[in-house]
Amino acid sequence: MSKPSFVYVIYIASTPEKVFAALTDTDMSRRYWDGNQVESDWRVGSPFKLKREGRDVVGGAVLEVDPPHRLVYSFHSQHDGLDKEPPSRVTFTIERQKDQVKLIVTHDGFEPGSKALEAISRGWPLVLSSLKSFLEAGKVLHAPWYDQETRAAAGAVS
Amino acid sequence: MIAPGKPAFVYVTYIRTTREKLWQALIEPEFTRQYWAGTWQESEWKAGAPWRIMIPDGRVADSGEIIEIEPPRRLVLTWRNEFKPELRREGYSRLTYQLETQGDMVKLTLTHEIDWPESKFIEAVSSGWPAIISSLKSLLETGESLEATRRWPAGA
Repeated sequence: MSKPSFVYVIYIASTPEKVFAALTDTDMSRRYWDGNQVESDWRVGSPFKLKREGRDVVGGAVLEVDPPHRLVYSFHSQHDGLDKEPPSRVTFTIERQKDQVKLIVTHDGFEPGSKALEAISRGWPLVLSSLKSFLEAGKVLHAPWYDQETRAAAGAVS
Repeated sequence: MIAPGKPAFVYVTYIRTTREKLWQALIEPEFTRQYWAGTWQESEWKAGAPWRIMIPDGRVADSGEIIEIEPPRRLVLTWRNEFKPELRREGYSRLTYQLETQGDMVKLTLTHEIDWPESKFIEAVSSGWPAIISSLKSLLETGESLEATRRWPAGA
């Protein structure tokens, strides 16, 4: 039986270079990722972090980098007890198709019954929908529930 | 809820629009032609009414019946492929669209399920829906659908 995983495919009117840049740029990610930002020097073996207001929401390491086609990092949620689960893995595959890009996000490496899998399965459709809006329309999407979850994750609850 | 082990495809997307506009874009021909490979749907859009998707060359792509319709929140219909014998033999699937307002956007949840083990039909729609829904989102947010989805593919 296959291990539990999450796969999401989205098509974006953009170029592989722009999609890859948006996935790896701290300032761009902060806009479409609802206040969370990616931080890394994007060399294999370097740390990867998703941060919010200076705090780590997710930690990990860069596993593969092949701009602008492929990016793989390990992903270890630091919040809500999810840090007790083993790190999972995110793979971005970027394919040019004429004047659009097919972006495939595969998030795997979860244990059966993983709570982290539940959390990322809620999060990715929002984040990737927002990424598409950002690249195509210059607008981003916000969801109060996601804002609350990641704010709590960063320990910034008032 | 989907029964465990039953073949199903679930896709969630968020679109900066209203439920009313999204509902209109999901069912009206002038919208679907732009993002759904030139196709359009024919139905009276009431519970129990027949429903079908038309291919521009006059063939019927899929057909079924409206099960539940509650504009602009929920639409459930049965769906059988009509132009590929290996998919048609699997019989009727069930498609649910759920539209939910969240701030200035709409969460669209699409669930397509069938009672057929190892379904080829679910495999086919799993690759089709992301392209169609991505294009629908582009159309509503930018005024332009994705180029690849504007025409029925040659030879299909």
